[in-house]
Amino acid sequence: MVASKKPTEVRIAGGKLPPIPLPTNCPGCGVGLDHEELRRHTYVCECGHHFRLGGDAWIALIADRGSWKERYGDVRSHDLLNWKVPKPYQETLEQLRDEGLNEAVRTGTCTLGGRAVWLAVFDFRFVGGTLSIVAGERLARGMEQAAASGLPYVLVSASGGARMQEGVLALMQMAKVNAAVGRLDAARVPFFSVLTDPTFGGTAASLALLADINIAEPGAAIGFTGPRVIKQATYADLPAGFQSADFQLARGQVDMVVARPELRRLLAHLLEIYP
Amino acid sequence: MTRHGRRPEETTLTVWQVVELARHPDRPYSLDYIRRMAPDFIELHGDRLSGDDPALAGGIGTWHGRTTMFLGHQKGRSLKERVARNWGMMHPEGYRKAIRLAQHAAKFNFPIVCLIDTPGAYPGAGAEERGIAAAIARAIMEWFRIPVPIVAAVIGEGGSGGALGMGVADRVIMLENSIYSVASPEAAASIVWRDNTRKVEAAEQLQLTSRDLLAMGVVEEVVTEPEGSARADYEATAIALDEALQRHLLQLLAQPTEELLQHRYERFRYIDSLIRAEPQFGPKI
Repeated sequence: MVASKKPTEVRIAGGKLPPIPLPTNCPGCGVGLDHEELRRHTYVCECGHHFRLGGDAWIALIADRGSWKERYGDVRSHDLLNWKVPKPYQETLEQLRDEGLNEAVRTGTCTLGGRAVWLAVFDFRFVGGTLSIVAGERLARGMEQAAASGLPYVLVSASGGARMQEGVLALMQMAKVNAAVGRLDAARVPFFSVLTDPTFGGTAASLALLADINIAEPGAAIGFTGPRVIKQATYADLPAGFQSADFQLARGQVDMVVARPELRRLLAHLLEIYP
Repeated sequence: MTRHGRRPEETTLTVWQVVELARHPDRPYSLDYIRRMAPDFIELHGDRLSGDDPALAGGIGTWHGRTTMFLGHQKGRSLKERVARNWGMMHPEGYRKAIRLAQHAAKFNFPIVCLIDTPGAYPGAGAEERGIAAAIARAIMEWFRIPVPIVAAVIGEGGSGGALGMGVADRVIMLENSIYSVASPEAAASIVWRDNTRKVEAAEQLQLTSRDLLAMGVVEEVVTEPEGSARADYEATAIALDEALQRHLLQLLAQPTEELLQHRYERFRYIDSLIRAEPQFGPKI
């Protein structure tokens, strides 16, 4: 019986990752990058530098091939507060949609190693992965569905916090999603959170750090207030590695720091041992 | 119409003037109201884990004949007191203390009054090291489970997640010249323009006045301030705030606990439902 607890082979492979824009050289080690090689290694350089992934890449990485069913993709943001300067918010939204992005959070169901889960991924390319009304609505609906159906909930975060252009209603999304996290918790549905670079502000101070297991990517910056604002407000010199994944591990905020190539196997294993 | 014969919509103030009133150093702070509402107020201290956060005053007192838990950001009046109170900017210990006292209130079935007046959670290295993000996150989640009525009022500045961490309540009201915002105008300017001197423009965009929040459906009521704003008459402002909070509390006390918690959930779950969206938001999953 003990043998069944060993990490199982994840037989069903994730999808092929989409190409992402990359610099010529790795910002971690300075070596010239072979883009195809890097793509096969889930965009992690040999030096350990993890390149930021968009929502589509995260879905491809985590969902078993062909299993992703997007939900609530038709719930769309628009300019609620008539935000005009320095750039009209409506214009920003339309431009991002023309680039093929659909909000800072996408959610849906998929299988992972053959097990059905709810998955939500942040996309930092959409207004800095900011928590908006639509992002909050997609997250809350998914968590309510997961709580009702008992499907485990997997979150991948990459976010600057709440979205300024939606004002106080963006702030209120923190309460909206945390209320739903409470439902998930009360229903005893496993919640696994993967914190990637960067996870800050209202996203860190709402659902991202409230999971049953918090997993950080190596080198990810995670915190509430960004280093620029801390320096401005307190004139403090921040030590190297401040707010890094290892910093959060040492201070008890995350359970583990896991390299991206190991992540799928780990999640599949967790899904097996949290029935 | 109020006892002062003014309607809140009669204001001629600019948005920035409201921001300045909300932050005025002579404006009444939480303890100015709490001590008038419950003259027998006893302050309680500590999160029972590692410390006490003076930026949050908390304790019990008799309010309209009922033992009540009061919690409020406290900015401090003199420079010495401001330093001690950290200008009302809470550290993680403050959010843990708030939940400790809320659970204490629940144990004895005391209702809870929260007064919000903070520029935000403390943006310092120590707060980060001790887990400010998770402390706020957990507080927000726990507030939804506190099985007694909670009424909250924004009395000055409602700044960002630091305010929301004390603002999950069954009713949230605002004093007329208070503000409630996703970020301070300075922070929003710094994020959107990369220039925190554009604060006036940012304040105008953010829609952070009490009238804006009432229109958006984020707060239930705006309490009119006396002529010359709250700082002109502490007594009259305290009476008006007391009356409004007590009126809301009486409505809540009649509700069975399960219904109270379900309504609190729905209050925030559908808080954006007044705003048009495509397709419409709402409870139709």
